[in-house]
Amino acid sequence: MTSLMSIRSDSTMQEVLDAFPGARRALFKHYHLGGCSSCAFSPEETLGQLCARSGGLNVDEVIATIQGSHEQDQKLLISARELAEALRLANPPRVLDIRSREEWEAARIAGSVLFTQELMNEILGRWPKTATFVMVDHLGATSLDAAAYFLGHSYEGVRALRGGVDAWSQEVDAGVPRYRLE
Amino acid sequence: MSDSFEKRVTDAIANPKNMGELAAADAVGTVGSPGCGDMMRMWIKFKEENGRKVIDKATFQSFGCETAIAVASLATELIRGKTPEEALALKGEQLAPELGALPPMKIHCSELVEGALRDALAKDNAGAVATASPATAAAATGSLVESLSPSVQPVGGKKIVFLK
Repeated sequence: MTSLMSIRSDSTMQEVLDAFPGARRALFKHYHLGGCSSCAFSPEETLGQLCARSGGLNVDEVIATIQGSHEQDQKLLISARELAEALRLANPPRVLDIRSREEWEAARIAGSVLFTQELMNEILGRWPKTATFVMVDHLGATSLDAAAYFLGHSYEGVRALRGGVDAWSQEVDAGVPRYRLE
Repeated sequence: MSDSFEKRVTDAIANPKNMGELAAADAVGTVGSPGCGDMMRMWIKFKEENGRKVIDKATFQSFGCETAIAVASLATELIRGKTPEEALALKGEQLAPELGALPPMKIHCSELVEGALRDALAKDNAGAVATASPATAAAATGSLVESLSPSVQPVGGKKIVFLK
């Protein structure tokens, strides 16, 4: 994996995304890149190529934007152990799982609920902005995007589980089986 | 955005109507891109009434903003009993008159609903969905939740392999 400090103009977009899981969101938010088919980028093209064909964006500035967004993302993360402690509090956060139903049924954090359209609308329509909840995925790759969405809607108590259910299995509850998708 | 507009939106989404897939839909329309953050899908079922084909029920799914959900909720109520032509004649704020004038930044939200409605009715005219069984239609379109993020897609062709 490309280290955080080493993405450069000639890094491929796959390397950029590996190093900064939230890079796609940062690029879309700041430059409207990578959001849909008309502004997409391929994993093989380099950051420099993407910047060049996007109106000649300054590569160093784009890298700084990605890194700045990454630092903000880190504040949204909660570790498996921290979540375990929080779940023992009198008012524990709700745990919302954004994986497929099959994965959720196969291995999940006790008390977690599967994220659905109906739940999302319930959150936006009825949950107070002070609600605390934690987004969970398999390996922690996409839960940040979900948490960032709710943060953007003023839910400042949202967090994403670092490392996903897999980290929960390893750090908190070995009874939750680890798995991979083939 | 005025407080009163915000309150009207909040009121509308506090008890949203017609959310979710419509199992036996005659037409399904989608507009927007999940990658771009705004997407709306609408299901429509028709019935015959006094010799006219009218909308019996319309439902929607959206991961758009609250305003888009509010407009869709109100619009799907409004178009019940209307013919496709009458529904298509509704533009912008006419789809959700309860919300009043939309702020400039929110006009896109009503366009999203209007686009999904047009897409559904165009497909119905083409017979693309109407000729398919509900199961086929559902399989062809999938659910919006599934299309929004790879992480919420069904495992599908992949299988879960437990690690030892």
